[in-house]
Amino acid sequence: MSEFAPICIYLVISLLVSLIPLGIPFPFSSNTSTYPEKLSAYECGFDPFGDARSRFDIRFYLVSILFIILDPEVTFFFPWAVPLNKIDPFGSWSMMAFLLILTIGFLYEWKRGASDRE
Amino acid sequence: MKLSVLSSPALVSGLMVVCLHSVWFPILVFRNTSGLILLLGLDFSAMIFPVVYIGAIAVSFLFVVMMFHIQITEIHEEVLHYLPESGIIGLIFWWEIFFILDIEIIPLISTQRNTTSLRYMVYAGKVRSWTNLETLGNLLYTYYFFWFLVSSLFLLVAMIGAIVLTMHRTTKVKRQDVFRRNTIYSRRIIMKRTPDPLTIYLRYRRLIGLNPIREMAVIFSRSWPLNLFKGFKHL
Repeated sequence: MSEFAPICIYLVISLLVSLIPLGIPFPFSSNTSTYPEKLSAYECGFDPFGDARSRFDIRFYLVSILFIILDPEVTFFFPWAVPLNKIDPFGSWSMMAFLLILTIGFLYEWKRGASDRE
Repeated sequence: MKLSVLSSPALVSGLMVVCLHSVWFPILVFRNTSGLILLLGLDFSAMIFPVVYIGAIAVSFLFVVMMFHIQITEIHEEVLHYLPESGIIGLIFWWEIFFILDIEIIPLISTQRNTTSLRYMVYAGKVRSWTNLETLGNLLYTYYFFWFLVSSLFLLVAMIGAIVLTMHRTTKVKRQDVFRRNTIYSRRIIMKRTPDPLTIYLRYRRLIGLNPIREMAVIFSRSWPLNLFKGFKHL
């Protein structure tokens, strides 16, 4: 378990490196020079016409969902690769069956054009 | 550096509040749970937790926050409306936790280390011990291969379901035959059939003449780009 100590140190240092530049401006900023008009959205002097959010394309969410699906596939590869000399060819072929089933899904996604860039 | 059980409250304390004020709190929950699992000795699961839970599931939560029109004022109006039912369900979950807990094991105020230091060394494990990955891999693909393949079926169904639900017809209409498009486009360029913008503008000026009313009429008509090409016959 002591092999994870460097990871702990790495996490703490990375947290510090990202939080220190984030937090340094706060003591030096002046809160007195902001007023509501300065903080509100600027639309050429008019009041804001509507919400600033635009319509979100669902294809970005599809990318995220496909990552969720294929990430466990990669996760299943890791324990399979380590004891390959101990599992007989049966173990290899069960992984090939897993891959075959997921390749069917991948073919469907490819032909349907789910990850086309248009 | 041996991390003792004392550091698990340090990982967990104060950050298990899943009140969903922001997506940050589930991310912290996953991180702390990953640390706890690491302390339990399951290093593979502890490394997979950030990858799958934070990298995939918390990112999906973020997408939900981005996509839907969630206004905070609307949420505050409706919180009290749903309080009875959600309160009862929350109390049921809280009551179920006591089935799992065995209160004598959890040191509430762990000041002395004697309660947790009573363990014996397995020296055989220090010579050659199987890693987490090895033990999982030995069993998952041979003895429990059926559940492994069932999980692949789950993933397949999820993939196809996600694509079926999110791809409506408009995403299929825009496909074009790329090779044909390239040949048509290159032919026009090679035979110099498309004029450059300057030529187009000069032809437009000459077509319209200097009559401003006629100019406005052409501009505000819907087919004004086509009118430019009509003038080609004269030029």
